[in-house]
Amino acid sequence: MKHQSKFSTNQQQEQAAELHAAQKAAQEFESVEQLIRHDARQTLPPPSIARRLHESIGQSDAPRRAWWRRLLE
Amino acid sequence: MKEVRELPQEPGIAEKHALPEEFGELYDRHSPAIYYLALRFLGDPQKAEDATHDVFLKAFQRMDQFRGEASARTWLYRIGINHCRNLQQTWNERHMFPSSDSAIWENTAADDTPLRILETKELGCRIQASLDAIPAEYRLLLLLVSDQELSYEQIGALTDQSTDAVRGKLHRARKAFATAFAKTE
Repeated sequence: MKHQSKFSTNQQQEQAAELHAAQKAAQEFESVEQLIRHDARQTLPPPSIARRLHESIGQSDAPRRAWWRRLLE
Repeated sequence: MKEVRELPQEPGIAEKHALPEEFGELYDRHSPAIYYLALRFLGDPQKAEDATHDVFLKAFQRMDQFRGEASARTWLYRIGINHCRNLQQTWNERHMFPSSDSAIWENTAADDTPLRILETKELGCRIQASLDAIPAEYRLLLLLVSDQELSYEQIGALTDQSTDAVRGKLHRARKAFATAFAKTE
C-alpha cells in the first residue's frame, strides 16, 4: 500500500510537471510591456549589492575634516 | 489609468546588511527596479550590479538634496539613467543603431499580435537581444513604461520630452521590439 501511494505521488508530480511545462509552452503576452514586466518580476538584484553598499556607506560615513581645520590643529 | 503593482523584492535584504533604516527601506523598495533598468539597459549583469551599487551610493550621499518634489522612484531613476548613459558612453562597447536608422524600425510591418514564447528559461536572453537591437532611446522608454509606478508624465520628465512625444515614440518602440523579438526565435 505504501509503495502504491508513493507511486501515485510520483505520478501526480510528473503530471503536475507536464502540466506546468504545457502552461509554460503556451505562455503569451498581450504587449511588450507585459513581457518585460514578467521578466522584471523574475529578475532580482543580487544580495551582494546590499553588502557592498553597506561597506561603501560605512567608508563614506567617515567624517571629513576641512582643510582649514587641519591647519588649526 | 496605470495600475500600480508591487515590485518583486527579497524582503529585508537591506536590513540584513544593516543599511541605515530609512535608506534600507528605500533600497528594499526600489533596488529591483533600478537593477532591472541597469541590467537591461547595459546588458551585462556585472555592470548592472556595479551600476546599482553606484546609484544607491550616490543617492545616499545626496539624500539631503532629495526634497520630495519628485517621487523617490523618479529621483532614483534619474540618477540611474544618467549613470548608465555615462557608463555606456565611456565604455562604448555596444553596437548601437544610429538614431537616423530609427526609420528601419518605423517602416517595419506593425506587429500587434501577442508575443508568444515557447521556452521561458531563455526569455531573458531573448528580451536582452531584442532590447540590444533597437535604438537606445526606444530601449529606455520601454523599460520605463513597463514600470507601472511611473506615469507618462514622469517618463516624459525623465527623458526630457513631452508626454505626446513619449506616446508617439512608444508606439514605434513597441513595433521595433516586436520585430526584433520575432527574429530571436
